[in-house]
Amino acid sequence: MTGPVEVRRPAVYLAVAAVLALGTLLLPGAGGPSTPAAPPPPAAAAPAAPACTRVVGSLRPQGPLPPPGAMPAGSTMAAIAARGRLIAGVDQGKYRVGYRDPQTGQLQGADIDLARQIAAAVLGDPNKVQFVVLDIADRAQALIDERVDVVVNSFTITCQRQTQVEFSTPYLAALQRMLVPKGSGVTEVEQLAGRRVCTSRGSTTETVLRGLPLRLDVVTYPGIPDCMLDLQRGRVDAVSSDEVILAGLAAQDPQTEVVGRTLSGAFYGVGVNKGQTDLVRFVNALLERSRADGSLAAADRRWFVILDPVPQPAAASYRD
Amino acid sequence: MVAPPTSEPGRRRVPWSGPSTPDRLRRVGAVIVVGCLVTAVVSLVSGVARTDAVSECGGRVAAITADAAELYRTLADADASATTGYVSGGIEPAAVRARYDDDIDRASAGLVSAAGRIPGGDAAAASVATVAARFPVYTGLIETARTYNRQGLPLGQSYLTSASALMRTTILPAAAELRRIETAALAQDYVRGGAFPFGVVLLGVAVLAGLVDLGLRESRRTHRVLSPGLAVAAVLVAASLVWWVAVTAVAGSALSDAEARSNATTALDDARTAVLQARSNESLVLVARGGGAADAQFVAQLDRILGAGGLLDSAAAGGADVSAVRSAAQAWQGAHREVRRRDDGGDYAGAVASVVENDPDGSNATFLKLDAALGTAVDAQRAAFTAAIGRAGGAQTLLAAGPAALLVLAAAAVVAGVGRRVGEYR
Repeated sequence: MTGPVEVRRPAVYLAVAAVLALGTLLLPGAGGPSTPAAPPPPAAAAPAAPACTRVVGSLRPQGPLPPPGAMPAGSTMAAIAARGRLIAGVDQGKYRVGYRDPQTGQLQGADIDLARQIAAAVLGDPNKVQFVVLDIADRAQALIDERVDVVVNSFTITCQRQTQVEFSTPYLAALQRMLVPKGSGVTEVEQLAGRRVCTSRGSTTETVLRGLPLRLDVVTYPGIPDCMLDLQRGRVDAVSSDEVILAGLAAQDPQTEVVGRTLSGAFYGVGVNKGQTDLVRFVNALLERSRADGSLAAADRRWFVILDPVPQPAAASYRD
Repeated sequence: MVAPPTSEPGRRRVPWSGPSTPDRLRRVGAVIVVGCLVTAVVSLVSGVARTDAVSECGGRVAAITADAAELYRTLADADASATTGYVSGGIEPAAVRARYDDDIDRASAGLVSAAGRIPGGDAAAASVATVAARFPVYTGLIETARTYNRQGLPLGQSYLTSASALMRTTILPAAAELRRIETAALAQDYVRGGAFPFGVVLLGVAVLAGLVDLGLRESRRTHRVLSPGLAVAAVLVAASLVWWVAVTAVAGSALSDAEARSNATTALDDARTAVLQARSNESLVLVARGGGAADAQFVAQLDRILGAGGLLDSAAAGGADVSAVRSAAQAWQGAHREVRRRDDGGDYAGAVASVVENDPDGSNATFLKLDAALGTAVDAQRAAFTAAIGRAGGAQTLLAAGPAALLVLAAAAVVAGVGRRVGEYR
C-alpha cells in the first residue's frame, strides 16, 4: 500500500456505509396486515312442522293415589323416591307462572306449586324437588334425554309434541293474546301487519304468529322476558304469548296492557317421558284430586288474581 | 487518476483540487471530517430516538397499557360482582355492592385516562369509543335490574342477564382490543430502544477505516510515526463506537428483562380476568338453574389459567413467581367442583351458600384469595418492569449527546492533524 495519499478509498468506505446505514434505518416498520374477521355463518332456517290436527287425551289414573313413601315397587315414582328428590323442568322468568323471587332467591308461581305438589305426593315433602330451568325450545328434549322427571313449564299440549312426549290432563287454559304499550292504539293483531312482534323460540305461539297472513316480522328469543326488554326499549311493537304469561309481564310494567282477541286456545299439561306412563297416570290421579278438592282452582285464584276473569282449571279427558 | 503536470501549490484558482500532496491531504481530510460529522448527526438522531423509545416504555405507553389492563379487569370485576350479588337473593351484601361501585369508579377513571392519552386517529381510539359508548348502557341495565329486584319482580333477572351479555360480548372484547394494541406498541418500543445501532456502527467503522488508511499511507510515505491528530481522532471514533455497543448491550438486556416482565404482567392480567369471568359464569349458572352444561365455560377458563402452556406457565416463563397463585387457583377449582356437585345433586341452597357466604373452604372465600394472590403477583411484575425500564434509561443517559460530541472532537482532531501536515509543505 504505497503510493500517494488517495481520497478514493475513504470516500468509498463512507459511501458504502452511508448506503447500508440508510438501508437499516428504512427497513424496520414493515408490518403485516391483520386478517379480516370471517363473516358470521348464516342463521339456520327453522324447520317446518309437519301438519298435525288432533290432540289426543291423556292416560286414565289407575286407582287412588298411593300414599307418599309407598310407591309401587319398580315404578318410575319408586325410582324418584329412591333418589330422594323430584327433578322438575321449570321456568323462572314468567311472573306468577314460574319465576324467581329476587328477594328470597326462591322459585314461585303456579307451575312451581304444581311441581312441589307432585314432589309431596311422591316423597311426602314439597321441598324435595330440584328445579332445572329449561329454555322453551328445550322442554321436550329434556324429557327425552331424561334430564328431568317432569316438565311443569307452561307446556302447551299439542299433537306435534304428543309425538315426542306424554302429557298429563290439562291443568290450565292457555289463550294466546298480545301485550302492547299503553296508548299504542293497537287492539287487534291486524294492526301490526308488517311490524315486529316478539315471542319465545320454539313455542306454539311462534307457529301461530308465523301462520297469520299478515307478514309479521316475528322476533324470537329463548324466553319471553327477553321480549319484554325489547318492548320496553321500543325495539318491538308487541309481545305475543299466553294470557297468563302476558298478565305477569303487564303486572311488572303498568305502561303495558294485554289486548286483542284470543289468537289460539290450548291447555297446559305436565310433560313426562313417553315411556313413563305410570308417572303420567300418577300425575293425573293427583290432578283429579286437586280438581275435586278445589285446590287447583284455589292455586289459580292465588296466582292469577291479576287476571279478570281468573282462568278456570281445565277439565280432564282420557284416551283409554 | 492521471496526474497532470505539477504546478505551484497555493496559486491555483480552485484550492485543494490539484494533484499535489497538500491538496490530496486536504481532500482526504475533508472527506473524513464530513464522515465524522455525518456519523455525529446520525448518532445524535439515533440516540434521541432510543432515549425517547425507552422513556415512552416507562411513560406514556406503559401508562396507557396499565390503564387498559386496569379498565379490562375492573369491567370484568364489576360484572362478577353484579351477578354474584344477585345469587344470594334480596338486596346484595354491602361488601359486594361496594366492590361493584368501586369497580365502576375505577373503570370510569381508567376510561377517561386512556381516552386522554390516546392521540386522535389512533387505532386504539375505536376501542375506547366502543367501551365509552356501551359502558353507560351497561350500568343503566344493571340499575334497572336492581330496581326490579327491589320490587320483587323477576324482570330484573332478564335485565341482569342482558347487561352481562353486553359486557361479555361487546365491552370486554373492546377493552381487550385496546390492551392488545397498547401492548403491541410497547413491544415496538422495546425493538426501537434495544436494536443493534447499525447506522452509527457502519458509518463509524467506515470513518475509522478511512482514518487508518490515511494514517498508514502517510506514515509509509513520510517514514514517520502516526500523526498525533489522526491518532487522537481514531481513538475518539473508536470510543464513540464502544460507547454505543456497550450501551446497547446493557440497555438491551434491561429491555428484554422489561419485556419479559411485561409479558408476565399481561399473562397474569389475563389470568385475573379469566378468573373473574369464571366467577361470573359460576354465579350465572346458579342464577339460571340451567344445570351443569353451562358450567363448561368455567372449566374452559380455569384450563386457560392452569393448563399446560396456560397463562400461569406464560407468567412463570416471564419470571413471575406463580406458586401462590397456582395453589389458590387449585383451591378455588376444588371449591367450585363441590359447588357443582351440590347443585347437580339437588342441594341448591348449599351451592348458593358456598358461592356467597364466607366459609373458608367455600367458593367465595377461595375466589377472593385467588383474586388477591393474582393482584399481588401483578403488582410485583409491574414493579420489576418499572425497575428494568429504569436500568435501560440509566444506561442510555448521555447516549444522544456523548458519542456525537466525541465524533465532533474527532473531526476537529482530523482538521488539526491534516492542517499540521499541510503546513509542513509551506
